[in-house]
Amino acid sequence: MNSEETEMISRCQRGDQEALKEIFDKYHKKVYRIAYGVVRQREEALDVVQEVFIKLFRSIKDFKGRSHFYTYLYRMAMNTAIDHKRKAGKQFMSSLDEEGSFEPSEVAEKGPERILLQKELEEKVKLAMDKLPDEQRAALIYRDVEGLSYQEMAEAMGCSIGTVMSRLHYGRKRLQESLKDYVKLQAQGRGASTAEGLDEAGKEGEDR
Amino acid sequence: MTNSCSAVSKVLEKYFDQEVTGEERFLVEGHLQDCPACRDALKSMEELRTWMRVPVDEAVRKEDFPWVWQKIERGIRLQEQRSWWQSLRSWLDVTPLFRKKVWIPAVATIVVLLFISTQIIFKQTPSYQGASVVEYLESPTCNVMVYQLEEPKVTVIWMFEGPEEEHTTT
Repeated sequence: MNSEETEMISRCQRGDQEALKEIFDKYHKKVYRIAYGVVRQREEALDVVQEVFIKLFRSIKDFKGRSHFYTYLYRMAMNTAIDHKRKAGKQFMSSLDEEGSFEPSEVAEKGPERILLQKELEEKVKLAMDKLPDEQRAALIYRDVEGLSYQEMAEAMGCSIGTVMSRLHYGRKRLQESLKDYVKLQAQGRGASTAEGLDEAGKEGEDR
Repeated sequence: MTNSCSAVSKVLEKYFDQEVTGEERFLVEGHLQDCPACRDALKSMEELRTWMRVPVDEAVRKEDFPWVWQKIERGIRLQEQRSWWQSLRSWLDVTPLFRKKVWIPAVATIVVLLFISTQIIFKQTPSYQGASVVEYLESPTCNVMVYQLEEPKVTVIWMFEGPEEEHTTT
């Protein structure tokens, strides 16, 4: 934590809203990423962001600086998002209403079929993530979405690095299990593209 | 899978997460060159990561955040008002009364006190209102009491010889 950030935090602890705005400017996207990673729904994720910063302003006095400030904030974001998800319950069940709307430029760029497949996959991933226990989902979001190191994750999750690795391992395993058809398809695609690549290479060789 | 796969699989995930030591990296990368199964396992992990990350990246790219800050400011203002009200309530501290139901005997006591005080305040005075004793004479045979009433102007002379015999003259 640099001195500028320390100063910003202590100003916020004294109730300075400008300091909170500075913290917001610095971290809102990261908080949104975590929130969206959990709830996978735009409006809900924005509500989580809002709630996290209001909570932060109220409780920042309790931050003693024993851990990194961002891990403290990420933990708050993760817990708030999980709470939101629990409260909303089945409202989060797959709906293509909002998330399924395509932008015209996107359609022109990728083609409708590919977009449809992509949306279908997104839905499957969302459902598979929903099935994971909270700790495993949190570990995957911290690592695979947010890119935290094991050490940072251990700090944010309040556990050992060994536990972090175990949560990641079992989370990935379960996710792969739920999405095995897609994983298999991708593997076949890789095989086909390798075969195509080999064919092309062979043809090139014959031409020569 | 080759025999060394089991040894590599223990660190493959660490390698994928870029958490390996130099020695472990050397071991994994050497193995990956000859092992398509471990290469596939690594590729699958990469794909899962992409599937999780891409929708989030896109959602962030599309989002416009300034109005979120405005909502946060409004939320803080609202909370400050609420906390003022809450502090007033806690200062008055009425909630425990309702919670513990101590108000039942308290209200009963107040009602009884009110009833007694109204009885004292509105107690009926003697029928001769405004009467005042002008004179009172006692003798062994007869007692005389003289009253004067203001409305109407009347003088009452009350003579009584014993406890049972009373005469009133106006």
